[in-house]
Amino acid sequence: MEKVLEIKNLTKTYKNGRGIWDINLDINRGDIFGFLGPNGAGKTTAMKIMTGLMKADSGDVIIFGHSISNDFEKAMDKVGCIIETAESYPYLTAYENLRQFSRYYRDVDGRRIDEVLELTGIYKFKNEKVKNFSLGMKQRLGIAAAILSRPELIILDEPLNGLDVEGMVEVRKLIKRMAEEEKTTFFISSHLIHDIELTCNRVGIIFGGRILNVDYTENILNNYASLENYFISEVDRNGKV
Amino acid sequence: MERFKAAFINEIEKMYKRKKAVVIIVISLITIIFGQLVVIGIRSGLGVRGASSTEFPLLVLSVFANTILPLFTALVTIDTFSGEFSHNTMKIALTKPVSRIKLYSAKIAAIAFFALSNLLVVMVLSVLTGFLFNTASFTGVGLLRIVVSYLVTLVPILVLAVIITFFSNVLKSSGAVFFLTILLFISLKALGFIFPRYSSLFITSMIDWYNLWIASSIPLMKLLRQLFIMLGYGIMFFTAGFYLFDKKDL
Repeated sequence: MEKVLEIKNLTKTYKNGRGIWDINLDINRGDIFGFLGPNGAGKTTAMKIMTGLMKADSGDVIIFGHSISNDFEKAMDKVGCIIETAESYPYLTAYENLRQFSRYYRDVDGRRIDEVLELTGIYKFKNEKVKNFSLGMKQRLGIAAAILSRPELIILDEPLNGLDVEGMVEVRKLIKRMAEEEKTTFFISSHLIHDIELTCNRVGIIFGGRILNVDYTENILNNYASLENYFISEVDRNGKV
Repeated sequence: MERFKAAFINEIEKMYKRKKAVVIIVISLITIIFGQLVVIGIRSGLGVRGASSTEFPLLVLSVFANTILPLFTALVTIDTFSGEFSHNTMKIALTKPVSRIKLYSAKIAAIAFFALSNLLVVMVLSVLTGFLFNTASFTGVGLLRIVVSYLVTLVPILVLAVIITFFSNVLKSSGAVFFLTILLFISLKALGFIFPRYSSLFITSMIDWYNLWIASSIPLMKLLRQLFIMLGYGIMFFTAGFYLFDKKDL
């Protein structure tokens, strides 16, 4: 199987003593990988390092064979992401925001921008300034931005934040369809266990800055009644609860 | 280069859409008109000549380059760096496939573009008003002196912008950077007056270096010395600012 993302011995310690230590992960093409952990477990830190927003103390992240620390542009060329919150420029319209992002890619034109606005259900607000958007609409715009360049790897940090039930179902469907039809690989973090169970085919648990276990959702559900039971048992087994 | 270009266009678009840059240019224009009215007032009220058509743009430049232009350049620079950090929008561009050095350079290039546009707009309007109110004294050489003066003023203003960029990467708050810039500007101006022997070392004294370019015999050595001092400041602060920008964890 082709490795899309390799995380090697990633370590980052904050001044307050928290952080992540010795994170190792391999993500293969077509995976919908769920990164599960409670608040403050280190999910966002790991994802920030993966996307170059933060520098690791040691270790490296390799995306499509390129190191994020030494070859950033090539590593991020086929990556779309939302980290922490879906940010956009409030004084620009939805369309203008996406046009800003499209300039970094060769094959993204106005038609593609309309297409992603349609896919995320905000086409009718295309010419409205983002400062008038609700949290859910901003989140949808963030998802539109993440998929805009037809990336092969999409990194989403809490993608369902602020979405209503309808929005959650739509995004989940979109993720599954892209993984099936376009072989897009997803790396999704969430603290919503049920959501990870419904969306992801592989799950990694992070707790207290360390990876506890990585397994296929199918295997987990064969041995446990639900992902929640597995999560509690893993955390318990590691003596953290 | 393609990605630098994308980042540069994005920065220009953001400046334009934020409307602040447009407001700044409008204020600059109002200042010129006000300046011309003062000159006319002096001429008709006191019988003093005021300024001829080719002197008026240089008179405008001497005031504009020492007051409004540095102030507006500071505002735009702070918006481009501190503003984006504090509104959390910096991470939008930082997660796109563009290296930090290209993004940093594109932002500074966009600030330079803004300062140059501001200078050119003020130049064109001041030449026009000067010409309209005093057609007789207009000459080709006079026009050339004006164009050179306005263009070379970009150099010290850009160095000032690079210094402010450095502060924007040191301090988190936009307000603090703005306050520090004003304080530094006034202090350097004052030091230039108190210690005139050392004034050529202060960037604020170099804003008027266009006078060297239009002197009847150009003092080449002095001009080169000032150019190299400015280059030195520019390179040092650009590098230090980028070092901080590159290391910044978001």
